[in-house]
Amino acid sequence: MTPNPSQQFTKSKWFLPAFCLALGLVFLAACWIGGHPGEGAYSLGVMVVAGLAVLLGGRSETIRGLRGDGRDERFAQIDLRATALAGLAVLVALIVVVMIRLARGEDPGGYGWLLALSGVSYVLAVLLLRWRG
Amino acid sequence: MKNTVRALRTKRSLAQGQLAEAMGVSRQTINSIENERYTPSLPLALALARYFGVTVEEMFDDTEP
Repeated sequence: MTPNPSQQFTKSKWFLPAFCLALGLVFLAACWIGGHPGEGAYSLGVMVVAGLAVLLGGRSETIRGLRGDGRDERFAQIDLRATALAGLAVLVALIVVVMIRLARGEDPGGYGWLLALSGVSYVLAVLLLRWRG
Repeated sequence: MKNTVRALRTKRSLAQGQLAEAMGVSRQTINSIENERYTPSLPLALALARYFGVTVEEMFDDTEP
């Protein structure tokens, strides 16, 4: 039941706050490059607040699980299912958007590429996991 | 899955939190196992059985749906 070294960081309570901060810095860099440093600073601020909220969010199982320090095998399973559900929601939304655009005679554009990417990545993931498993 | 985790735990006067700490899982996970809402992984089932000195078959009953 002892986590291996690679799991120890993700099981630390600093994992998600650090991830939020890193993502905020990436937003800042992207906005800065795009000539909108103000929006970048706002995004960084939002991510810092989100990270702090998770870090100081108390000892509820949900917060600790999301944060990383309360993550065990059951929460990992919950996380996996939640991720699959979120992916399914995005996939359904993409299908709906692509269908609406096609029905209007419009080019699906980036939505079509995202839909194709999700399908290809799913098949690749199945192949890889089947090969490894 | 039906199991005797609660019976074995209370027999030893252990709190859910103490067992959870010994197993390296959350208290809620032990609670979910005891209430048959969560079926533990094989490593956790083995660790529980080893901790209580019983076999996995004695601890978990998969004969009932």
